[in-house]
Amino acid sequence: MIAVQGLVKRFGSKFAVANLSFEVQEGRVTGFLGPNGSGKSTTMRCMLGLDRADAGQSFFGGRPYHELERPLHQVGALLDAGYVHPGRSGRNHLRWLAASNGLPTSRVDEALATVGLTDVGTKRVKTYSLGMKQRLGLAGVLLGDPHTIILDEPANGLDPEGIRWIRDVLVYLASQGKTILVSSHLLSEMALMATSLVVIGKGQLIEQCTVDEFVARYGDHWVRVKSPRATTLVDALRAGGATVQAVDETTIEVHGPNAAEVGELAARYQVTLHELSQQTGSLEDAFLKATAGVQEYTAGGVR
Amino acid sequence: MIDTLRSEWIKLRTVRMNAVLAIIAIAFPLVITVLTAVLIDSDEMNARDLIGLVTGTSVITGMLLGVIGASGITGEFGFNTIRPTFAATPKRSRVLVAKAILTVVVGVAVEAAMVALCYGLGSTILNGRGGDVVWSDAGNAKSALVGIICFAGIVSLLGFGLGMLIRSTPAAVAVLILWPLVAEGLIGALLAVAGVDEPFKWLPYNAGINLGNPDAGQTSESLGQVAGGLYFLAVTGVVCAVGAWSTMTRDA
Repeated sequence: MIAVQGLVKRFGSKFAVANLSFEVQEGRVTGFLGPNGSGKSTTMRCMLGLDRADAGQSFFGGRPYHELERPLHQVGALLDAGYVHPGRSGRNHLRWLAASNGLPTSRVDEALATVGLTDVGTKRVKTYSLGMKQRLGLAGVLLGDPHTIILDEPANGLDPEGIRWIRDVLVYLASQGKTILVSSHLLSEMALMATSLVVIGKGQLIEQCTVDEFVARYGDHWVRVKSPRATTLVDALRAGGATVQAVDETTIEVHGPNAAEVGELAARYQVTLHELSQQTGSLEDAFLKATAGVQEYTAGGVR
Repeated sequence: MIDTLRSEWIKLRTVRMNAVLAIIAIAFPLVITVLTAVLIDSDEMNARDLIGLVTGTSVITGMLLGVIGASGITGEFGFNTIRPTFAATPKRSRVLVAKAILTVVVGVAVEAAMVALCYGLGSTILNGRGGDVVWSDAGNAKSALVGIICFAGIVSLLGFGLGMLIRSTPAAVAVLILWPLVAEGLIGALLAVAGVDEPFKWLPYNAGINLGNPDAGQTSESLGQVAGGLYFLAVTGVVCAVGAWSTMTRDA
């Protein structure tokens, strides 16, 4: 388990992370979400002791990171796939990482094979694509078979096959009981692999809950109705205070009452229904709603 | 610590620039020595003269080794590999000590190889051409060879210290090279104008280079061979201490 307690990090007078506390449970993928500039990467660097936190602490299995003797055996972290010397081969990059934690070279070859880079392991990293660097970074994470994994935007630069691969890897590792914290801007991907979320904005915790709870709390909910007598139903729904949007002549979307209430109303008016389904908004919609007030950078509208 | 040393050794060996610099560091004085031994009248050069030639040209070797020492840490900051380094070994002091040890060991080893090659090849060529270069005739000049090897180790460490402090390869290399070539001359001249007695002997590089001069310290204008070396080492130690403090307390 990861526990972050009262983390504070200032750059000058600006608070990048402001008294942030959260926990990451084992056996699940936890998404770490926040708008650009919300402090996700800074938080991760502080957790690993790379940036000096002004206050607060992070614990991995109850111990601060700097107290871990051979941390790669316990925590695997990939903060940026670009943190590699371009003149060094991928294999040599992993060799020094492995050596620093007493891991044998055989683990390097196993990790390269796991991420599919065996054939290019001896090539210099400057010849790698961004996707290959991501795979190399993930090989570094897996070197020590750690119980806790921290990844910052691991899908960056990966093609669809690579994105699916990393999702499958993380879901599999979580099923093995590992603790996984992963940040990503690909919210559709996050919806597929994460079961829990830590959402931050301007360095502060906005929400920590399961994905389902988050979407239920912040996402839109409506009822989709298909009926040959939709017009009759619209009048009845509006009279009851519901908001109704017509999709086409026979299909409407009802905001306000739930599916059961709409069904009972339809029965009362003897309106035949061809479809009655409860709809829920996406994680992306929920995220945008939850972070609407804490966006560091917002784009102008498209004309 | 052994793990960290092994890791840093792999890093050092797997960057091509380090190998290129080490080859140049040995090749440059070697070429000068061979050309001199081939072209000079063999009667004009004895063991002391050959040692003087080797120690003179090996200053370049020391500088190049200093560049290797600097880039060993500035490269980490430049390519951000310092982050995975400190993530893999959270005790930063352990990483810095391992780097410092390897920097000095490599500096001393390369310089010693260069000195042995230059003297061995130079004396062989000269004696082959009828010269009379005899090791036992070198007297106290022999200590200059040991001194210049120590000098290379200290310059390597100085490069590493400057690298920790400055974090940028071009800036650290510029300071390493321009300090002895330009800055010490200017500072010494300014101090002399200001009325300071014999200011040059207290300038670190000027003192350190005495390690390659067994006759240093015979006048009050310079520190002796050992004293100069120790003074240079002390200044280097201060630079390294400040650099290490900076690296251990700042964000990686």
